[in-house]
Parts: sequence; structure tokens; C-alpha cells
Amino acid sequence: MAGEYREYNYVAADTIDVSELEPLDPETKKIMKSEFSTGIKLTLFYYVFILSIPILNWYAAEFMFSRMWGGMTYSWFFTSIVAMAMAFVIALIHTTLYEKRLKNEAEKSSTPADGRRIG
Amino acid sequence: MSTFLEPKFLLTLILMGTIVYITYLTKRNATASDYFVGGRSFGWFTNGSAIGGDYLSAATFLGIAGLTYQLGYDGAYYAFCFSIGLTLLAIFVAGPLRRFGAYTVADFLAYRFHSKRARLAAVAVVLAISGFYAAPQLLGAAQILSMFFGTSYEFGIIFTCSVMIFYVGIGGMKGTTLNQALELWIRLGAFLLMVGAAIWGGLHYQDILASINEFKGTITGTASLTADGKDIPFDGSVWTGTGNYFPSFWQTMSMTIGLSLGTIGLPHILLRFYTNPSAKAARRSALMAIGIASVFFLFAVYLGVVGRSIFLTGEADPAVMKDLITGGNNMVVPSTAQALGGEWLLGLVIAGAFAAVFSNLSGLFIASSGALAHDLYATFFRKNITEKERVIAGKVSIIVLGVLYGALGLMVKEASIGHLVALAFTVAASTFTPIFILGIWWRGMTEKGAIAGLVIGLVTSMYMIFFKTTLPEFLQFNVPGIITVPVGFLSVYIVSKLDRRVPSDVNEFMKQVHSKESEAA
Repeated sequence: MAGEYREYNYVAADTIDVSELEPLDPETKKIMKSEFSTGIKLTLFYYVFILSIPILNWYAAEFMFSRMWGGMTYSWFFTSIVAMAMAFVIALIHTTLYEKRLKNEAEKSSTPADGRRIG
Repeated sequence: MSTFLEPKFLLTLILMGTIVYITYLTKRNATASDYFVGGRSFGWFTNGSAIGGDYLSAATFLGIAGLTYQLGYDGAYYAFCFSIGLTLLAIFVAGPLRRFGAYTVADFLAYRFHSKRARLAAVAVVLAISGFYAAPQLLGAAQILSMFFGTSYEFGIIFTCSVMIFYVGIGGMKGTTLNQALELWIRLGAFLLMVGAAIWGGLHYQDILASINEFKGTITGTASLTADGKDIPFDGSVWTGTGNYFPSFWQTMSMTIGLSLGTIGLPHILLRFYTNPSAKAARRSALMAIGIASVFFLFAVYLGVVGRSIFLTGEADPAVMKDLITGGNNMVVPSTAQALGGEWLLGLVIAGAFAAVFSNLSGLFIASSGALAHDLYATFFRKNITEKERVIAGKVSIIVLGVLYGALGLMVKEASIGHLVALAFTVAASTFTPIFILGIWWRGMTEKGAIAGLVIGLVTSMYMIFFKTTLPEFLQFNVPGIITVPVGFLSVYIVSKLDRRVPSDVNEFMKQVHSKESEAA
């Protein structure tokens, strides 16, 4: 079912108090935790970089707008060159880690129950 | 040379011919899945190119360079903020959204809460964001036509809407995706040639920044082109520093928050992740789009600096100098192309600019068409609609949207493309971004919380944009993300906490969007 659209008939859906919700199944919980943990770490790192640029621009302007390469200041360099590369690098790390996790899971599920591999 | 053999005519005609050809090839849309999500058949390369095409609109192709040319560092800062969002989208939303696998953005809310009210609220927000985004794209197209083909602004709007009605209406998502992918590479090619020509001409980034920074005085050769008959004054040290557009630290932070979180809530970008065959392909598509966007933003800022450098020397062709003054900041890329590479490069850039406008508008048309035909008509008015009727409804809605967006385009004649798009990002960041992030990762979000978030986020952001001057001075932000985004998130959170009634099958929903099924391409 996952991945394919199914028409939803508007049968009145039950609602329950959030405190009465059953816990998520262990596998979904594990996937969500691992995905969110990776995502939030990368996002925090990314936002420290992103927000440090305006903070430094306004509170350490003398340094940020001093020249580092020809007429290019530190601020120009980080804003118009490093930041662009950073967007891609963060996304690349995230995608690589995700595909690695996927591969590991696939290997685990094809490993016999006693943990030994054949061949 | 005959008019139609001039490069700008020739290359634009070739682009139009290619669009017609692709549209003709993809005209068969037998099912709603074909029409709205291209049969979910596009791999990561095609879809990554199409996402890039969707994201890199006229605001990027024309607007970012224009803003850098006009505002200096603060313009480059715009590009920086635009460049952040796709990465966050790839991290938190792309994969789960594909696993959900519906047709429209509103489907997500309707299915998450079994709610028609949530669907209706989402439709209103989709139309508001898309309208906000479409108007500046039409403005860009009309300005290009007016400046380089001598047509009126009104003709430009009507012409562009007609092209969109033809190619989205007939080609659906299939034709749109293939056209978007092709159009992206036309733009990238134009930018690559411009950057190559600039570097070949000795306009190295660090050197031209140095000469701009040292410039203080008047720009020679501009007196005859100004209203007061005097040469234009310019201070390079102000231009290369911050404070030209964002007068305070908090104004800068507000825009950073609004723009960086806006991409996650853009309906036409979210929709693209439904067209991949798997969640893995969706993530790869996002990664590819980010790579392309990073290169694009880097080039756009550099070309804005090149444009300013050419203008300051006052040695460019008089026609180029005139365009740089009278064309406003939106026409810097074509003018710079003419200065760097003559008529052929200008022709390619004009074709690229049309490609940017068409590409982005087609995404907006498809997203809004889904909202009107699938979410509104088929859900509320014709419950037992057939597949064929659903496709026809989609096509009719494209005509309605063409008229609506055309009217909006006529209303924004004097606006800045880049800034209008920034405002659309803020509305998206204050409405759909909280809904998608919390809806995917938090089981406690309730239907009432989601609707409250959409309505309060929309009303707050619209009010802070359109009635800015009625607010106290400390709340008057150029881009009000610092207020409206937290308001959007808090509305969802607080109302959900008070409501506490969640769908009883929310665990199944979470399993669907986070499961490993349908992962591999």
C-alpha cells in the first residue's frame, strides 16, 4: 500500500485522546528515531553556520568585512561561495547516511537468524 | 538581417518549438495519475532537473543577480537564504512525502486527519502561495518581452498565460516535467556561458569586487540617461557592506528564517516528490536539485557583481548602459549578457529567461490545478467523478488559473521579482512548513491544530506584508519571517495540546510515511 495513492472515503474517523494512543511499533519507532536524530544533528550544525554569518556581520563587522582574497571580504566569501557548497554537502551527507542505513538493514534482513553468513 | 533571424528571435522560437514538440509527445494523459503526478515514472535525474527547474524561477535567473547588482552584499544575502531551504526539505520531508504518495499537497492533510475541513484550508493556502509566486514570474516574462521584443506589458502577460494554458493543460505533469528538465539545462547553459565569458574577459570575482569597493563618485556616461540629467552617484564601500536593504540585525534574521524555512512549504516543490517511483529516488532527486541550485546561486551572485562592474566603468555599449538604468534590477542578466557576448549570448539568455518563467509557472499551475480540480471539484462537488472527468477538470482549471494569474500579473508591474518571491516564501514558511514538519514527525498534531496553524499563519503573514505600516515600528519587517514562522508553529502546537483528539489510526499513518516499503528505485 505504501507509496500508492488510495482514494479516501470520508467515513467519519474515530479520534482518541492523545494519552490513550498505543505506542508506535518498534520498527517504525526505530526508523523515525534514527532518521530524526541524523536530520536534527545535521540541521543544528547547518544552522549554527547559517546564523553565525548575520551575527558576525552585525557584531564583528570589522573582521567580516575585512579583505581576505583580493576585494573579497570574509563575509562575501562565506555568503556567496562557502554557503552554496555547504547546502550541497549537508544534503549529500544526509543522503549517504540514509542509503548506508538502508543497505545495512537490507543486509541484516538477509542474514540467517544465527547471525552467520553463508559463503 | 531579417527580424526572425536575429538571435533573440531565433533562439526563443526554437525554445517555443521544443515546448510544443514535447507537449505533443506527452499529450496522452489517460488517468489522473498521469495528469497530476506523471504516472510516478520519473527517475532521480529527470525529477532532480525538474525540481531544479521548478525552484530556480525568474527570481533566481533574473532576480538574484538583479538584487546583487542593486543592493550589493544584501542582494547576495538573498541568494544565501534561498539556497538553504531545499536542504532542509531533503532532510525532513522528501522521503516520507513520497512514501505517502498522493496527488496534491492538500491530500496529505485530508488523509492524515480524515478531514475535508483540513483539505479546504490547505486549498486556500495553496492558491494564496501560488498566486503570490506566479505574479512576479509573469512580471519577469512581460518585462523581457517588452524590453527585447518591444511588446506592451499587457501583451506579455497575456502571451505568457496563453503558453502556460497550452503546455500545462495539454501535457499535464508528464509534459511539464520533461519541459522543466529541458528548460533547466538551457538556463544552466546560458549562465555557464556568461560566467565563462566574464572570466575570459578578465572580470575575476575578487578583482572586480576590489574595484567596486574602491569606487566613490559619479558614474560617467549616465547623465544623458537620467531624469535629472546628472551622472549617477555611487559609493562602493556601502554597496559591498551590509545595511543596504536590511537596516538592522533583526531584519536580517527575519529574512533568514522566512526564506530558509519557506521551501519546505512551497506546494509546487512538495508536489514534485510524488512523481518519483520510490522514496530513495525522491531523496536523490532532492540532492541533485540542491547541487544544481548551489551552482546556480553562486553564478547568479557573481553575475550581479559583473553587471555592477560593467556599469561602473561606463564603457559598455550605450544600449546596455540604457538597459541597466531603465530596465531596473530585473534586467541585469540580459544586459550583462549583451555586454559580455553580444547578440547571440543575449538571445540565449532571453530564451533562458523564458525557460525560467515557463518552468516555474508550469509547476505552480499544476499545483494549483490539483487544488482546484482534485481537492475542490472532485471532493466537494462531484464525488463520483471518473478518471476521464478528473483529467478534464484539471484541464479546465488550468484555463481558470491562467485568467486569475494573468490578472495578478497585471497588478505587480512595478514590483521587484526577487522581493515578491521572498514574500511568497514567508507565507509558505508560516503555513505549510509547520504542518508538514509536525505532521510527519509528531503524532500529537490534531486536525484543529493543523487548521489553526494554516489559518493563523496565513492571516498573520498576509497582514504583516500588506498592512506593515499599521504595525508598531519594531514589528515592521521587510520579510516578516521572525514573527510569522514561530506564530505558525506555536498555533499548531498550542491548539493541538488543548484539543488532544488525534485520529485513532495515526500510528498506521506514521508507519506508512516512515516504513521501508517502496524504498528502492
